[in-house]
Amino acid sequence: MNTRDLVLIALFAAIVVVLGLIPPITLGFIPVPITAQSMGVMLAGCILGAKRGALAFLLFLLLVAIGLPVLSGGRGGLAVLAGPSGGFIIGWVVATFVTGLIAQRTVREGQAETRQFIGFFLASVLGGIVVLYAIGMPWVSAVTGTPLLTVATGSLAFIPGDLLKAAIATLAARAVYAGYPLLPARA
Amino acid sequence: MLTSLHIEGDSLLHRLPVRVKLIALVALSIVLFLSGSLVLQAIAFVLAAGLYLSVGLSLKEAIARVGFVFLTIFFLAAVNLFLLPVGEVATLTLRLMALVLFAAAVTATTTISAFMDEITILLTPFERLGWLRAADVSLALGLVLRFVPDIFARYEAIREAHRARGLPIRPLTIIGPLIILTLKDADTIAAAIDARGFRRQ
Repeated sequence: MNTRDLVLIALFAAIVVVLGLIPPITLGFIPVPITAQSMGVMLAGCILGAKRGALAFLLFLLLVAIGLPVLSGGRGGLAVLAGPSGGFIIGWVVATFVTGLIAQRTVREGQAETRQFIGFFLASVLGGIVVLYAIGMPWVSAVTGTPLLTVATGSLAFIPGDLLKAAIATLAARAVYAGYPLLPARA
Repeated sequence: MLTSLHIEGDSLLHRLPVRVKLIALVALSIVLFLSGSLVLQAIAFVLAAGLYLSVGLSLKEAIARVGFVFLTIFFLAAVNLFLLPVGEVATLTLRLMALVLFAAAVTATTTISAFMDEITILLTPFERLGWLRAADVSLALGLVLRFVPDIFARYEAIREAHRARGLPIRPLTIIGPLIILTLKDADTIAAAIDARGFRRQ
């Protein structure tokens, strides 16, 4: 790995930490407040690609594990990983990888803007929502004993917010892609 | 800005090496998950709570640290009451609370450098395979700690710029510039690292 990739990974992990410091936004029509940090998965995958994005989140996971309060709301430490939502936090690494993989396959330079938007949105939804919940929900069910179907039904409340996040991440990723493209330079 | 959750002290957990604490945490979770006994989970919970409260945190701080996780646990326990027998719900809830408390106690009694030393040792096999270098992991970690305050200052500058123009502060208009401005520094930082020969390449 060259030094530039190492620095990009570290800087993105730092960006994810800062996104956790930004106060969450509440929207009238969605029951759950939106934390900017949870957009990090989609952003990292769409901007850095699969490998570097996943490594950025692995580094972030390391920060959580060694006891830095980097999760939104100043949470952190092994306690969060041992709790019910630990699967979602560990799932971030895989979700970022899948997001990046799809973004790398679908978005190319010289494509029409709309196609790039569709590519990023598809990557964000499949990686940042489908894969993430596929890891997080069975985890919740396994550690709390709540039947998977109940967990899945309850998780539906988060889906509108997640789709909105995917839309914001798509627009932001496309803006970064236009201004400072990093996705093609594969690590 | 980024202060560790470690607490100074001289309790039993402070004196134990990190490796012992991490192995104990893994062993505890395996034992508790394999056992369905309510009594065992209750004993583990009382012991973990005792350990956690003895590490030197004030009661307020101790509750604040695990509060959010406990809230999720209680919420799911309340849901479970409608679906599972009461005894089972008690077993599941006590098990999770015991693990969370013990994990919080390990975090509170271990310094970042102690964790990093252990991680460097754990990474040695991967280093032998040539997959990564442990020194790179420490370097990346140091970079994050170094740049978080800078990036936060940049976020505040962009927010002020929004205010000055009377624009609403929306995530979309903030995240794009924040990421571009931050990542554009990557080349300069990488050049500075290589010029100093930190990675010996």
